[in-house]
Amino acid sequence: MSSQFKIIGTRQPRLDAWARVSGRAKYASDISFPGMLHLKVVRSPHPHANVLNIDAQKAAALPGVRLILTHKDMPAYRWHPDMPVLTDVARFVGDDIVCVAATSEEIAAEAVDLIKVEYQVLPFVLDPEAAMKPDAPKLYPKGNLVGGKPQLASRGDVEKGFAEADLVYEGRYKTNLVQHATREPRACVALWEGGKLTVWDSTQYTFAVQEGLAKALRVPISKVRVICEQMGGGFGDRSTAERYNVLAALVARKTQRPARIEFNREENFLAGHHRYPVIFYLKYGVKKDGTLTAIQAKAVADMGGYAHFPGAGGSMEVILSTYRCPNLKAESYSVCTNKPEGGFMRCVGHPQATFPQEVHLDIIAEKLGMDPVEFRLKNYARLEDGDQARKIPFSSNGMEECIKKGAEAASWKVRWQKPGSTAGPVKRGLGMAIHACRHGGMAAGMPSSGMVRVNSDGTVNVFTGTSDIGGGQKGTMAMIAAEEIGVPLESVFVTSADTDVTTDTAGTTGSRQTITGGTGIKLAATDAKNQLLDIAAEELKVDRKEILISEGKVYRRGSSEAIPLEKIAGKAPGPIMGRGVGRVPRNVIFHTQAAHFVEVEVDTRTGAVRVVKLIAVHDVGRAINLLTTEGQIEGGATQGIGFGLAEEQLLDQATGICVNPNFIDYRVATIKDIPEIVPMIVESVDPYGPFGAKGVGEPPYSVPAPAITNAIYNAIGVRFSEIPITNRVILTSLAKAKA
Amino acid sequence: MKEAKEKPVYLEEREEGKKGLSRRDFLKGVGAGTVAVAMVTTGPPAHEAEAAGPPKGVREMAVVMEVNGKPYRLNVKSHWTLLEVLRRELALTGTKNSCDRGSCGACTVILDGRVVYACSLLAVEADRRKITTIEGLSDGETLHPLQEAFVREDALQCGFCTPAMILCSKALLDRNPRPGIDEIKEALSGNICRCAAYPKIVKAVTSVTNKA
Repeated sequence: MSSQFKIIGTRQPRLDAWARVSGRAKYASDISFPGMLHLKVVRSPHPHANVLNIDAQKAAALPGVRLILTHKDMPAYRWHPDMPVLTDVARFVGDDIVCVAATSEEIAAEAVDLIKVEYQVLPFVLDPEAAMKPDAPKLYPKGNLVGGKPQLASRGDVEKGFAEADLVYEGRYKTNLVQHATREPRACVALWEGGKLTVWDSTQYTFAVQEGLAKALRVPISKVRVICEQMGGGFGDRSTAERYNVLAALVARKTQRPARIEFNREENFLAGHHRYPVIFYLKYGVKKDGTLTAIQAKAVADMGGYAHFPGAGGSMEVILSTYRCPNLKAESYSVCTNKPEGGFMRCVGHPQATFPQEVHLDIIAEKLGMDPVEFRLKNYARLEDGDQARKIPFSSNGMEECIKKGAEAASWKVRWQKPGSTAGPVKRGLGMAIHACRHGGMAAGMPSSGMVRVNSDGTVNVFTGTSDIGGGQKGTMAMIAAEEIGVPLESVFVTSADTDVTTDTAGTTGSRQTITGGTGIKLAATDAKNQLLDIAAEELKVDRKEILISEGKVYRRGSSEAIPLEKIAGKAPGPIMGRGVGRVPRNVIFHTQAAHFVEVEVDTRTGAVRVVKLIAVHDVGRAINLLTTEGQIEGGATQGIGFGLAEEQLLDQATGICVNPNFIDYRVATIKDIPEIVPMIVESVDPYGPFGAKGVGEPPYSVPAPAITNAIYNAIGVRFSEIPITNRVILTSLAKAKA
Repeated sequence: MKEAKEKPVYLEEREEGKKGLSRRDFLKGVGAGTVAVAMVTTGPPAHEAEAAGPPKGVREMAVVMEVNGKPYRLNVKSHWTLLEVLRRELALTGTKNSCDRGSCGACTVILDGRVVYACSLLAVEADRRKITTIEGLSDGETLHPLQEAFVREDALQCGFCTPAMILCSKALLDRNPRPGIDEIKEALSGNICRCAAYPKIVKAVTSVTNKA
């Protein structure tokens, strides 16, 4: 912690803590109105089918049913390039076909059962590589490849690079279909009164929902208000306008009654976003001394029935930018299949690439006889590398310190041994991996803003668009404002994520809010502070430069005589409103860096893998709130462990039906499953982030899976190229290795 | 093993005085302990009136329960869960719905001193029982020591599982004021925290046990 700050870098309980521990916090699923209608959706039981006929007569006759909507009511409400709100072509099991609104959830559910949909079942495809073949069933007339062609990237001369290499190694890797499994199901309530739509939604990005609804319903943005007071977890599942938002708004408008929708758990698994699986083909060339000379990579991302973006390219960014290598060639294919929606999930696309690359490089280091830590230190992308094709540097880079700090904490040099060195049936192993990628940046067109008001008693109200989804974003904004103005943290109140009151800070996605929201608030606080200084200068009849504000008091430099801030704020001719708009620096690449070191125990009799200890070192630029920063690392790493060892949404290959859409069969880590997690912080002090901060929400997810996979190899001498590595996978592989 | 999975106690058994409070004891207790509180009676919600009669087999029944020290007489449908009644009829939304099948713990409440999953208990099974929800733990703005510990240690992120985590911890500490870390983990293992604030949750509960 830096002593130059009063508040930044301290440990502060989160702002909403009282509401959350007392049960008073109101999540979207807790909002209710008298006379509210309840929505339920008829979902496709087929992975691919045309809807021929919908017979809703019986349902319509059921007392209490107020509205039934089908694709025929929808064409005018299109807002997504491919995805209709309700579809007449089912593209995955769970696709939205009919929506019922009734006076109770029970009646709506009964109506859903009474609706008969006649389908023409079509051939389907679940494998993305099969879906790329010319004779594959087509989800869209234009074909299954998103954008119609692969995304290509290159630098240098990859053939020359391979010619220079002493070793060329190739491998194929595959990751799993994973769901966010947020504790709060998707839920929203819509109210339409006098031409104004108000929506309470559990969303990471109220302004995206506002814009999406305005577009879908063809109403002005000013007439749509979206509020996210509390949110029971996001992890990417709720970062855009979704079908359920449009349905609720539409029902509210058509019936002029409040409309509520809440997914059940199964619907959340089937019809939410997913971490899309990616198949990676990697071919890397290295010199004997460990220098990387060439990288050739091909990614095939399985985007499911609806692609929210070309996911393969998102994953490929990790391959392009984690290591320094002059020669590279990359092809990224994002392919639609009849699986659930591929979309946004914590560290979007990156874990799917970090796993293959870090396992691949672990193998290469071993083949060269090099310590994997030394190998990383030799090749990691330096500060000046940045975008290696366009020669744009990183904004900051703490990778070297992350690796060295972690290796020391793990006693790597002493404890890392040859694979399979433990005697007995329970084998111990050490492994490591690094991760660096775009996080927390302000990309072009990404809003960064905020407002700060200083009241006549010297207290401060902060208005920020950020949704506090659990990362403690509201507290971060309060700390930034308090530090910048010079007031006690207790005097700051934060209003957030209400499109009528706050301003856009981009979504609470991409490890972004500390940067976009935080920069906006810091600039707004500076603006407000300057107004206070002007008033104080006039009152004290001295130059503004002679005045400072600290802990809610105003001082003349060199004098200990304190004037309470309220005496100055109270003299303002009008409200003191600070306004901040962040600008996007174009000459740098925003990256965060991390290194994880992990120790595992593998029981060769049961195949059980126990993660004993995980050391997670992250360059966070500067920690604003140490307490929540640690929480993000611990929580993200735990999810990352699940990604590597346990989580996978399984589809029956014969029917496309998900067989584990629940918390019993889809294993989410419990309190008994977690290892000792040691969060460690590196502070590279980014020149662009507020007080030097960078993002931290997402990177902790990406690193554990490959670190664990490498540790498992170190324990039992078996390599794995696919995750999750379950007990069964371990046992099968051990048996194969013996045979 | 979560107690929610135990065999439910039916009205008939209860009336024979096998377990828990008898109706007479309950009413006596109500009279003695909560003199100032009037019995709150609620009927079926307004929206039901718009619908036709209930489906076959569904009965409407009167139940009496003490929730957070306050007595209620409620008319409930025989298939309503305790979770539905708490959230919808009593507006106690601190009890959360997440899986609705007893697999995640978000709806945990304390029933006669033991933790149960409110989604897996019918409202009629809670007849004549004492229920504590998260709203009953704090006293006005003053938090229970466990709630304070969760705030201090930041043993929460999104907060959706937090009420249940706190109630589970309370039930544990009520029967075992000095549990070890393994006992804490065992007691909370039926409650999923997807944000995985687990290390800090262990710290928070431990900090309270150390003070006891």
